[in-house]
Amino acid sequence: MEQHSHQHRHNGVVLVPEPCPHLSDFRSRHGGAIPFRALQDCLRVRPPGRAAIRRDPDELPRCLCCGLSSPPAPRLYACVSCAAVSCLAHAPSHAAGDGGHEIAVDVDRAELFCCLCKDQVYDRDFDAAVVLAQTAASTLGGGGGGSNRPPPPENLRKRRRVDYRPWTPDPRERALVVSNTSPLNGETTSLPWGLRGLNNLGNTCFMNSVLQALLHTPPLRNYFLSDKHNRYFCQQQKNNSTAKKNDNKNSRLCLACDMDAIFSAVFLGERTTYSPAKFLYSWWQHAANLASYEQQDAHEFFISMLDGIHEKVEKDKRKPQSQGCGFSGKSQRKLGNGDCCIAHRVFCGILRSDVMCAACGFTSTTYDPCVDISLDLEPNQVASTKKPPTKSPTKSVLSCSAGSDSMYSSQSCGISTLMGCLDRFTRPERLGSDQKFFCQRCQVKQESLKQMSIRKLPLVSCFHIKRFEHSPVRKMSRKVDRYLQFPFSLDMAPYLSSSILRGRFGNRIFSFDGDEPDGSSELSSEFELFAVITHTGKLEAGHYVTYLRLSNQWYKCDDAWITQVNEDIVRAAQGYMIFYVQKMLYYKASEKPVAL
Amino acid sequence: MSVPNDDNLSSHTQLSANVLSDLLDSIIVDVASECHRIARLGLDRNLEEEEEELRLSAQARAKVADPSNSGETTSKYVVDIFGQSHPSVASEVFDCMNCGRSIVAGRFAPHLEKCMGKGRKARLKTTRSSTAAQNRYSRGSPVSSYSPYSTSTSMNRLSNGTAGVSGEEYSNGTLEEP
Repeated sequence: MEQHSHQHRHNGVVLVPEPCPHLSDFRSRHGGAIPFRALQDCLRVRPPGRAAIRRDPDELPRCLCCGLSSPPAPRLYACVSCAAVSCLAHAPSHAAGDGGHEIAVDVDRAELFCCLCKDQVYDRDFDAAVVLAQTAASTLGGGGGGSNRPPPPENLRKRRRVDYRPWTPDPRERALVVSNTSPLNGETTSLPWGLRGLNNLGNTCFMNSVLQALLHTPPLRNYFLSDKHNRYFCQQQKNNSTAKKNDNKNSRLCLACDMDAIFSAVFLGERTTYSPAKFLYSWWQHAANLASYEQQDAHEFFISMLDGIHEKVEKDKRKPQSQGCGFSGKSQRKLGNGDCCIAHRVFCGILRSDVMCAACGFTSTTYDPCVDISLDLEPNQVASTKKPPTKSPTKSVLSCSAGSDSMYSSQSCGISTLMGCLDRFTRPERLGSDQKFFCQRCQVKQESLKQMSIRKLPLVSCFHIKRFEHSPVRKMSRKVDRYLQFPFSLDMAPYLSSSILRGRFGNRIFSFDGDEPDGSSELSSEFELFAVITHTGKLEAGHYVTYLRLSNQWYKCDDAWITQVNEDIVRAAQGYMIFYVQKMLYYKASEKPVAL
Repeated sequence: MSVPNDDNLSSHTQLSANVLSDLLDSIIVDVASECHRIARLGLDRNLEEEEEELRLSAQARAKVADPSNSGETTSKYVVDIFGQSHPSVASEVFDCMNCGRSIVAGRFAPHLEKCMGKGRKARLKTTRSSTAAQNRYSRGSPVSSYSPYSTSTSMNRLSNGTAGVSGEEYSNGTLEEP
């Protein structure tokens, strides 16, 4: 048995193991990939995607020596050279004859087996043939490769990565900087910049907590601190614009300007608390239905705020294409993505949703942008004293089990975890019989399986934990205080579309939707925690607090009070909105001729 | 798999047992084959890191729950990192940008609500922004990501209290860690 060193999985870059000598021998003798491609006619795929080898669709394979058929034998192998079927007991004798019959294929699992090594072996061309067959089964006319229709939206077109080039001002620029700025009078202190208490204006801790998180969202902070949205300039433009006839305050309303003002105020080095009154005023004008002095939800505010920044920027840019950054046909949703505004550039990712007909396997795929991910907590957890499992595999084929994934993650420990929630978010769900989808192939409504995955990760991932339980019987909701474990470092690779798809197609060696051919997405699925918004108290009356991680030190922002806390406090806290930023940020070639 | 003593069993029962045994074998091979592939192709999840995070979390919770650990969990705020302390109701005074009156910060929001004529019963200017926002945010959040069984009712929101109303104990610094 050859030694196999455990390697950490790289997203999109599947390790192709070295073929055993018998396999490489076989390939060279039979013309490389030819025998595997020839098997393609024999590949039969049944929903939800399991591939089998059958010469005729109704064939019942039997061992040539003993007549054993597939039930009861757990494994039957068909020789790739001559198609002779043997059970496990008789396979070696078939292989031991004159050379050329060493490689066989498991008829029920479509896995190659080397009868001399007595081990399962892997071949890229064989896997490609299987994936092609599986893809053909899941689309109408046999799509090419592993990609499904519709093609991914255009904002995914890849701009080439460029190397980071450090910049320092030249003498002229330096002079400009000196003459047009004044240094901040921050006293020499070991405290990081940007920490400033926010006054509670009356039930506004929902707003303060989100503001604190956003103030320290690295790409957002960098954007505003590098003057990318200069509020003086922006307001001047608005004053000069032709909106005079419609002289309501809305024309000068710009949440991004108000954000800019807050950034300035908070990074000034001032220690007295700051009142985000103007921001509240602007926001209430934007989100009129939420404008009231009463209990508010931080997540709702977060979404509303991002939308406010997006909308204003959209309006001002007056883009030539009508839908701005929405997808074709969905312009009324105005869901931004990609480069439309800083809010979306930072937070927007793309979700992929696959709905598979349970009868025929036809799969329909849609892409939707999202600015965050809302996760359900598991329903009543049954505490168990089992030890955590050792090596668990990644999610594999679309299984039909509705609800039990006890093999995976830490559910066996009885604790809810963020990764557990993400596992649940991306696992296949059998939709109820009252939610039948119209299958284009069957031409009737069928029961189906639905599976979500992340097509494109945002720069900053915000996870919103749905901490409420609605009881339809008692017609009321209550808050779920259950603890949720969240890691400080998070690898999102298992939840990417490429990983989910790969798992669905049996983890074959193949390039799936979202795989980067050069493996460059390897690092971009790793995230670091930087902010946690917690909620304590009841549904109707509680309190929000934000924990921030700056220079690997944690700070608690409780309205006006900024205090330093141990990371244990954060780990043990009840997370409501959890913010992660990509560990590595890459520079991409600018599309503008002159990058400013 | 041990076969039951067939002296005492009818062949029917024995056949059932054999069928079960074969089915189980088949399932076991399924799983073994999948795991073999995952391991060989380097696709297994890095469980060491995940388990380390779990361990750190459990450790942290134990420490926080331990009553002998004083400090951040149980003490009231005395001073913040800048050495300042703050009243329970923010005392800064500034001018309302809607009406121009001087308002105490901690009472600004209730003032502004009346001042702007806002609140859920107030008449609103129908701007595109407000109607769009209403449609978008009144029930759940389609802008937010899809969740298979999201129950988007108005109750799905966590509200906050604050100084002067229900959150008195928080605003002057008393901490209650769950």
